[in-house]
Amino acid sequence: MSIAITINEEEFTAEQGQTVMELAQQHDIYIPHFCWHPGLSIAGVCRFCMVEVEGRPKLEIACNLPVTAGMQVRTDSEPVQEAHKWALEFHLINHPLDCPICDQAGECGLQDYYMQVGKYQAQMTQAKVLKPKKLDVGVDLVLDTERCILCSRCVRFEDEVTKSGGLGIFDRGDRAIIGTYQNKRIEHNYTTNLVDICPVGAFTSKDFRFKKRVWFTQEAQTVCPGCATGCAIDLAFNADLKRYYRIKPRFSEVNAHWMCNFGRGMYMHLNVEQRLLSAYSAAEDAHKPMLKTDTAHIVQALAEQLQQAQQVALLVTPQYTVEDYRALLAFFVGKLGIRNVHQWRSRQEDTEKFDGVLWRGDQNPNSRGLLEVLAEFGIDKQQGNEFDTLAAGNYDLVIALAPQVLATFADIETDLQKLQELPWVSLWASAKQVLDYRYQQVLALTCFAEQRGTYRNYAGVERQLHAATSPVSAEIMSITALVEKLAACCKAQEDEHGSS
Amino acid sequence: MAVVRVKRPPADRNIFFQVAGYVAEIGKGMRLTMGIFLRQLFKREASNTLEWPEQPADYGERFKGKHFLTLRDDGEIRCTACFLCATACPADCIHIEAAEHPDGSIEKYPSRFEIDILRCVFCGMCEEACPVDAIRLGPEYTMAGAAGEKWVYTKDYLSQRSVLEGGVTSVKDENTKHPDLDREDAAQTSHLKHGVH
Amino acid sequence: MPDNLTKVKILTAFEGVPDSRTLTCYEAGGGYQALRKALALPPSEITAIVKASGLRGRGGAGFPTGLKWSFVPQDSDMPKYLVCNNDEGEPGTFKDRYICELSPHMLVEGMAISARAFGANKGYIYTRYEFFEEIAWLRTAIDEAYAAGYLGKNILASGFDFDLDHYEGAGAYICGEETGLLSSLEGKKGQPKLKPPFPAVSGYLGCPTIVNNTETLAAVPWIITHGAEAYRKIGTEKSAGTKLFCISGHVQKPGVYELPLGYPFMKFFAEEAGGMAAGRELKGCIPGGASAPILTPAELQDATLDYEDLAAKGSMLGSGAVIIVDAEQPMVELLKVVVDFFHHESCGQCTPCREGTGWLANIMHAYVKGEGKESDLPLMHNISQQMMGRTICALSDAAAMPTQAIVQKYQDELKNYLQAKAG
Repeated sequence: MSIAITINEEEFTAEQGQTVMELAQQHDIYIPHFCWHPGLSIAGVCRFCMVEVEGRPKLEIACNLPVTAGMQVRTDSEPVQEAHKWALEFHLINHPLDCPICDQAGECGLQDYYMQVGKYQAQMTQAKVLKPKKLDVGVDLVLDTERCILCSRCVRFEDEVTKSGGLGIFDRGDRAIIGTYQNKRIEHNYTTNLVDICPVGAFTSKDFRFKKRVWFTQEAQTVCPGCATGCAIDLAFNADLKRYYRIKPRFSEVNAHWMCNFGRGMYMHLNVEQRLLSAYSAAEDAHKPMLKTDTAHIVQALAEQLQQAQQVALLVTPQYTVEDYRALLAFFVGKLGIRNVHQWRSRQEDTEKFDGVLWRGDQNPNSRGLLEVLAEFGIDKQQGNEFDTLAAGNYDLVIALAPQVLATFADIETDLQKLQELPWVSLWASAKQVLDYRYQQVLALTCFAEQRGTYRNYAGVERQLHAATSPVSAEIMSITALVEKLAACCKAQEDEHGSS
Repeated sequence: MAVVRVKRPPADRNIFFQVAGYVAEIGKGMRLTMGIFLRQLFKREASNTLEWPEQPADYGERFKGKHFLTLRDDGEIRCTACFLCATACPADCIHIEAAEHPDGSIEKYPSRFEIDILRCVFCGMCEEACPVDAIRLGPEYTMAGAAGEKWVYTKDYLSQRSVLEGGVTSVKDENTKHPDLDREDAAQTSHLKHGVH
Repeated sequence: MPDNLTKVKILTAFEGVPDSRTLTCYEAGGGYQALRKALALPPSEITAIVKASGLRGRGGAGFPTGLKWSFVPQDSDMPKYLVCNNDEGEPGTFKDRYICELSPHMLVEGMAISARAFGANKGYIYTRYEFFEEIAWLRTAIDEAYAAGYLGKNILASGFDFDLDHYEGAGAYICGEETGLLSSLEGKKGQPKLKPPFPAVSGYLGCPTIVNNTETLAAVPWIITHGAEAYRKIGTEKSAGTKLFCISGHVQKPGVYELPLGYPFMKFFAEEAGGMAAGRELKGCIPGGASAPILTPAELQDATLDYEDLAAKGSMLGSGAVIIVDAEQPMVELLKVVVDFFHHESCGQCTPCREGTGWLANIMHAYVKGEGKESDLPLMHNISQQMMGRTICALSDAAAMPTQAIVQKYQDELKNYLQAKAG
């Protein structure tokens, strides 16, 4: 049933049971708030979201104010603004204001609201309450109880989302502090969400701590490549430096407001020191390190090998996009008629594993997508690791697509070791680590942060990738671009043969 | 296109009076120039010219010259690595790397603080932006050097170069140590002593 | 004295009776007859009688009791609870413990009747642990009532079950607030819950719960026995019945007095309490516990002890704790004690209260030492203004109201204090 209400003399239609805060959020009406979070229960403790309702003697908090028919709400009247100003002042009187050393600066609720409703001289002249700072309370967490405004979001997250109940508010009044229970730490896979939901700098991330001021970063809206769930993420990077700093969840139907700590590490392999920056080919002495080579030469060599080889196979990991698979298979399967396509997955994976929140045992973002594209090309397969089939397959050319995130393959080292024993391998990879091995050639691929594309998550939902930066080196190419180059080379060779 | 006709003043027919004005002004100017020239020629001490570099020039305390980093009472660098100077810098010449201070009572400090002096425009915005009086532009203006010299000033150079004679201590009272940070039981929250007022 | 203001002993009926706490004594005085009568009535009839009697909550807010009961959803299949708020934390209040001391059975009977009215089968009495003796008396009374068949399964063969338990609180002021009390009863930290939903719909463990003050519940048996009309006749039209007043401070005879509501304050003060102690002079009076705004002698002259008149004078009847302040008492000290108390007792949940009470206490600590400024007074007024009506429970208001009243009414004294300290 829908209800008509007015906010600031503008008419809105609300659903029965909705609160004024929810309605305001839906229509981008500004109501300042700290304790309210769309993914958590209502606490109503920060008392910041005061609004005026026609006919009611007191100001009401919007977060716990159910809409009623004909309700007239004002969010910008003078008493409301005065209340907001005072609410902020109350929040700030015992806040240490150590913004210069606080990682939250730049994305802090207190700072933002101070610029909007505050800009006053503090009226409190007495000493502030001092509380413990810099506490190591768990995985990736640093707690500063002095900066805390006791909005209780973190306590509710622990109680409601992870149901681990690791946090509590101890003592009372202005001595109250957030803390863990005696001899307990918060050790689950979702701790960094506490950093995200903390509206101030009470919880900061050990990983991101002091690394970069947030105003020096931009954010790309993309998808986490860490597992088959495909959480929507904001990937923070600096475009000038082409460096990546952190991953935060972005709201989507799939992951709501959260993501796991494991997924947050998915920026590390993107940075230049982890990356394969150009193509390599085998040295003359096969035991010597591979040599940096021009990509064009390598592709040429691959085209020649394709001409000669009798038995060609593809080894594909489910960590690339649907578009890349289509381009790859269109050439190798569609054009060249190679039907030996094998899946390369982690040996010890338990794809059924699910932690009940978001994280899945299938740590490939596009398992479904790969099988679907294979089916499009008439290759019907079940999900499974076919590395050993390939290794035993007696092929004289193997084109292998290495995992983007090597760490997701439990025994990647053995696999890479075995792979180098095959007669002729063209390894396409993005991690520098593959240079420890000896292959006939290695081609540098883009990572998920440098390309657009689609993953299909465990439920078949399309997850869209968006590029953050261009690749760190010009020699790095997407699979689609490489296949195009290869196709052009093959065509040129055919023409040559045809004419001679 | 519309043509706007404007009324011009009638041309002065007497060119002599126009030229005579200029000549008179030139004469005045030459008299001043020659006067100073002759006075200083015979009376050297009245001259404004310095025999630099043998004779030092004083630019006054407010001159915005070479940067230096100030120190706390205990000799530690004051900078808290807040990056506000780097943010304010229009030339993008300040490079900071922040880290956890080994001393538990200081949270954040710059493990690296560098100024690329060739990029610096000496605008003083870093000094303005600093919330803890950690960076100042000093009166040193001699920054010439040869091609091989270091043009990126390091943290040590900025805080301890010989001209600073052991470093400049700032008296600003903010940014003092937090009395509660030195506790041994920092990892435990359940039996904490609370600050009382 | 008009009829309606004639003194009636309802709650203090057993005053002076030896062994009044025992079941035999209580029964001899007509105890548990009301329960028998009530069990014969349909439950809705009990609510109707209490509604008609005009009984209002005696804990401080003065909400009509029968109306509160009628908010319990009768179609819900969740268990319903009745909780007696015997926490009595308001400074200056010592009336509920007096009931426990005189006739704990009156409370037990009142609870059984009330539970019957809205269909609760489980009740709790919540008392602060410092009331060691009262707790023992209540426990004995409950045991006696169980043994006599006034509690438990199938009470007096009526088919009505009612179990009553006692719960010891840890003594926090905030646990006297009904939802704070329920949180504490649930085993959680004593913090008030966000309303709506109200406890009558979702209270103890999410079930419909009625929380009534001891004094309210203890008045129920008399109302059932004598009828709504008889109760209504006592007191004023809007404030019916009698109320226990605890007078303290520099009076001749401090103590608990049962008076009809609407009783003139000066008469109570001069006659019952015997006026000021020798050599003392009245400077003000806090009529309803520490959270009630103070009244000056001028305001007290024509004040009557009922909800309406005190509200009209800008104060409140509250819990009926009348604190007399004499002229030698510096208001600075009094205000410091008041704000200190609320600073100490704020649960810290809502920001304006958590920070506001601390701020007020900070200012007063400096002020007492003579380190204050004259601008502190308008600042305290403003802080209090912003603390009022801004929080989940009324503790913030309770801290703000007396502060504002003292700052406003005793402004000159506060200013002089500062000058005297400076000079």
